[in-house]
Amino acid sequence: MRIPRGALLRSRVVDDPGDALAEVLDEGLTGYVVFEPQDALLLGESTRGIVTFEDGIPVLAYDTERDEGGRDGLEGFAVTGPHRVAVHAVDADDLAEAHETEAFRVSPGEPARVLAGDERLSDRTLDAAPESRRDEGRDQSALEAFLSDQEAIEQIQSEARAEAQARAEEWGLESALADDDEQLPGRDEADDVAHGGTRY
Amino acid sequence: MVEAFAVASGKGGTGKTTSTLALGMALAEEYDVTVIDADTGMANLLFHAGLDDADVTLHDLLIADRDAAVEDAVYDRFGMSVVPCGTSLTAFEAADPKRLRDVVAELAAGTDVLLLDSPAALGSKSAVLPIVLADRIVVVLQPTVPSLSDGLKVQEYAHSYGTETAGVVFNRVRDDEDVDQIADQAGRYFGGQTLASVPESDAVRAARRSGEPLLAHAPDDPAADAFREAAARLDVRDGDEHDVAERFRSAVVPERV
Repeated sequence: MRIPRGALLRSRVVDDPGDALAEVLDEGLTGYVVFEPQDALLLGESTRGIVTFEDGIPVLAYDTERDEGGRDGLEGFAVTGPHRVAVHAVDADDLAEAHETEAFRVSPGEPARVLAGDERLSDRTLDAAPESRRDEGRDQSALEAFLSDQEAIEQIQSEARAEAQARAEEWGLESALADDDEQLPGRDEADDVAHGGTRY
Repeated sequence: MVEAFAVASGKGGTGKTTSTLALGMALAEEYDVTVIDADTGMANLLFHAGLDDADVTLHDLLIADRDAAVEDAVYDRFGMSVVPCGTSLTAFEAADPKRLRDVVAELAAGTDVLLLDSPAALGSKSAVLPIVLADRIVVVLQPTVPSLSDGLKVQEYAHSYGTETAGVVFNRVRDDEDVDQIADQAGRYFGGQTLASVPESDAVRAARRSGEPLLAHAPDDPAADAFREAAARLDVRDGDEHDVAERFRSAVVPERV
């Protein structure tokens, strides 16, 4: 992922990433903002992400540490609390090529929701977005294709299970975990089929 | 009797808080309902319930030296008991998650249905706590790939802690979207049943702006009807309140958020 270097307009620490998003929305920034969650820094973790904007509306999100883009990228640097934000301006023409990277695009209201948990700002951003961008991420055939891909869904499920188990241990919640053999009433036969007949 | 539901979505933007209050108001026709904003890091239920200026919130109950009584943070609003959470980050950091367990246990003793508006994240101990503590989850989804993917993930987390799925609400569904087909397909992977398909509605935003739950602000809106339908399909189980309270009290809760 290559985003053209921009001119630094300002760099400062804000209480909440939503402050920076609201600010660039109001000023109609074309360029990018680098977000560095300060709490992650204290924990010795390096977390950093970039959101690009066109006329104040988010276009791309990129987690520079994990090299992931789009919604997954956004989640990588979604940390509650203070952030150092560095706001850069870039010429719209220079950004155009990067903005064609479909896999890194996010819908206009997504950064406000995911980074700041701010539905109001998310709505306000969506309202300000051009008509052509309001329906992004709503492709029904893509959704049907996703749900037909049993293997991919099983992979999401097994990864989430493994992650839940690992985190429970990390957080000292192991004893709250259900027994491996426990029959969960929420799982019916169809679930078993979806899980290839194995129970976790 | 009491059953505790965590209203969850994995990630934000699906209308989880709107759904929590809408289900709460609809269930309040039949049950004694308590709604708790368990999203202690990014609280917004207070804005939806006209409690922006609430003096005492859940945060006060979770901070050791505040010395607030549980009932001080309970507000009778729209036929429900509502426990809002404050928005101060400092208060969030000072909050002791162990206290959430005791607060929920105390509230469980005096209500039929507990709805926990859960954090839109799974990345911290405090964020998973509501789904660890609840009897079942209600998953709120939008008919999009990222939302379903997040929903599957939150469900796996819940199941890992023995919390099953009561049902799925498809929310913010647009006119041109046929959710029946999607719901059939999704039903293979999600537990419980499809509770409703709630249409995208301007009334939802208007309700939030006016600080009222959807069912109070626009009771005749199609989205409000759909939420009432969802609540009617939810088979509330009558757990023994003492057992539930005891379960909360004895739940293993991490030392720090």
